[in-house]
Amino acid sequence: MKADIAVVGSGLAALVATRTLHQAGRNAVLIWPGLSSLYFTYATIDVLGYSDLTTTRPVEQPEAGVAQLIADHPDHPYALAGLEGLRSGTTLLIEWLRAAGFAWQGDLGRNLLLPTAIGTPKPSCLVPDSMAAGDLRRDDPIVFCGFHGYEDFVPELAASNLSRSWGRGEHSVRAVRITLPSFEPGNLFTSIDLARSFEDTTFRREVASRIRREIGVDGVRVGIPAVLGLTHDTDVYSSFAAEVGHPVFEIPTLPPSVLGLRLFDRLRKHIQESGVEMIWAAPAHEAEVSDGQCRRIFLKSAGREQPIEARAYVLALEDTVDGALRAGVHSMVDPFFHEALAHHEMPTERTDESLFKPQPYASIGYRVTRRLQPSDDAGRPLAGNVFVAGGAIAGYDPVGTKSRGGLAIATGYRAAQEAMAA
Amino acid sequence: MITEETETFSDTVEEEAPVEACTKCTACNTVCPVARSTDIFRGPKFLGPESERYRSHQETAVTAGLDLCSGCKLCEVTCPSQVTIQEYIRRAQNKGAEEGGRTLREWVLGHTRLLSTFGSMTAPLANFGNRNPLVRMLMEKVVGIHRKRPLPRYQWLTFERWMKRHPRPRQTRRTVAYFYGCWVNYNERRLGEQVVAILERNGIDVIVPKQKCCGIPAVVNSNMDLARKYGSENVRRLSELPADMDIIASSTSCGLMLKHDYAHLLEINGAEKVGARVYDICEYLWMLHEAGELDVDFQPVPMRLLYHAPCHLKSHGIGYPATRLLRLIPGVHLEEVDEGCCGISGTFGMKVEKYDLSMKIGSRLFEAVKAAGSDSVLADCETCRMQVEHGAGSRSAHPIDIVARAYGHG
Repeated sequence: MKADIAVVGSGLAALVATRTLHQAGRNAVLIWPGLSSLYFTYATIDVLGYSDLTTTRPVEQPEAGVAQLIADHPDHPYALAGLEGLRSGTTLLIEWLRAAGFAWQGDLGRNLLLPTAIGTPKPSCLVPDSMAAGDLRRDDPIVFCGFHGYEDFVPELAASNLSRSWGRGEHSVRAVRITLPSFEPGNLFTSIDLARSFEDTTFRREVASRIRREIGVDGVRVGIPAVLGLTHDTDVYSSFAAEVGHPVFEIPTLPPSVLGLRLFDRLRKHIQESGVEMIWAAPAHEAEVSDGQCRRIFLKSAGREQPIEARAYVLALEDTVDGALRAGVHSMVDPFFHEALAHHEMPTERTDESLFKPQPYASIGYRVTRRLQPSDDAGRPLAGNVFVAGGAIAGYDPVGTKSRGGLAIATGYRAAQEAMAA
Repeated sequence: MITEETETFSDTVEEEAPVEACTKCTACNTVCPVARSTDIFRGPKFLGPESERYRSHQETAVTAGLDLCSGCKLCEVTCPSQVTIQEYIRRAQNKGAEEGGRTLREWVLGHTRLLSTFGSMTAPLANFGNRNPLVRMLMEKVVGIHRKRPLPRYQWLTFERWMKRHPRPRQTRRTVAYFYGCWVNYNERRLGEQVVAILERNGIDVIVPKQKCCGIPAVVNSNMDLARKYGSENVRRLSELPADMDIIASSTSCGLMLKHDYAHLLEINGAEKVGARVYDICEYLWMLHEAGELDVDFQPVPMRLLYHAPCHLKSHGIGYPATRLLRLIPGVHLEEVDEGCCGISGTFGMKVEKYDLSMKIGSRLFEAVKAAGSDSVLADCETCRMQVEHGAGSRSAHPIDIVARAYGHG
């Protein structure tokens, strides 16, 4: 199959790259593995939460923070994408979210500080409206509300942790739990099951009234796990918040991420319905390179390898989530060029024992040129018409610095520009 | 050095026990159309890889809940670790049927071709019966096929017999083999005629090797031995064709059986070589187009069309070639509807206890189809078309029907 530009991936970087190409009137094909890396992530768009892996002081102004980062580290992926890449990519994404019917807020000028499911403050830049009321820069008291039998969100833990770090007085944070109608606490249920149930008006009203009764007082805001609807179009959040009678905010829980599902499914539909071809396939692999250019890549389709022949390629793989990069015991070898991306004598070298320390595996990826082409050890491009975006770029830890979304947007946008010029 | 080491150690866990590749990420459950529509289904993750870890050849199979898997395979195309989730479910279900015996319904629905031969021979009577409320009530009580489910109409003249009388073109560039499948043979001969006409218009001679049912109705009705019997026979006959002859299928699921499931699920010898030569008809026409060999002298077809991609087409991993093809035709206004599975999944939605569930799964699609108000809904798969007609009350057609119209064969 032939295309002008082939984009491989399923996360934010792939979506932004594809949208950029489509907006520019180019014929892009998006090859995705049937799920999105957004299913496994926090699904807010974090541009820069911490300036490096050692500091605990959150960045207040992400755009200024990125500018400083670029000045300090001229080889950082943000420097390669450029501040302009971040700005243009963000504008494109915000417009797209609006066009696809999302209600989001935030801008590059400032970060919000939102409580996580374990009650730690987390800086995020762009967030859905349904999370914004959690902003810890506001002073009103918080009630964390959990559901009996749903173990992915423990309100007592969130309340106890937050009351220590937030410091708005003794009674500013508390936890409650309610019993959900039609969910037996002894049964196994997930956030996906809950999210489906919340799309039902009767169920939702009953939950809202139980929460209202349980809280009893005025002047508080209510944090609940992010389960307010699986598809965006039912507008579950605003009805529910009105029914609860307090400001409500959602808190992302363990994967699969309901917020990520909502975001990806809607954008995917939107892009597909706008006429972009999407190939739902097993991972792409095998770049056929001659004279320094990638001529074809191959899809593991049913029965045979399916060649995709494009003028340029954007590899917007998100770490190992979309199945393209697989680690062996010692090495991680990329599936397109068979370059060793990392080698460890012992597999344990890839991880730090503490979950809360920087993880070496997080920064494994392609070395890239200043034009985001994948490169060999000596910095020579492996193929002149291939460009890497998102988490597959080596040398940064998107989780530790809370910059996954911003880097996906900036590099996705920039890689698309490079692909068009190639 | 790296190579040596990786050869020794890498990924050994997954090679020896592929089920261990499941990381329990739950992506499969989120895309499963059945799990989305009912809370009595425990989902592909639990019934597939998680249960698989406890299954053993020596022990009697535990089959509770397995029948709710409709076989759409969306879990498998979604799995980031390429775990063959649905195959585990099918194998366990099949083992259960071998140990505990099969129901009459499993026998009937698994023998589609036998049933269709009979239906076609007695076409007027069979069609009358399939629409007669009394017969349908009996059918529901005795066999377990829901009375509200419209059954396909049988045609007295089969495609096989039509093809025997069809004069072969004189000058052609090449010859392809057509795997028409039971549907074209007994229920929609016109589609087969259109496939032949389109290929011949492009200078391609079509032959139809003798063939059996592809076997998918048997697979999903717990009879893998029967499916393997059919499949082996098909593989044997298709292997006798010249090695460079392409094989065309116009049914999405038949094509997927030939391309993939014969070799992997049914483990039929020689199936991989055959599968590598199988093409979906739209995939093939698009390949011709990219090679500059497709006649694109199309007449305008001024129609508002809605395209629904069948789940099994997603398993082909070829994108949606029908949409590319249709956009070449002047006058066609094509929109894609992306509301997931239609719910019928072959014989799944025919079963008395699954009918309501099947309609619920498809409800989002039905709503979207009704809202779009197009002239026709296009889908490559025949049971998707049946379901859309039934659930949304719309007209439907194979995308090939539009290509045929554009060539003046409407």
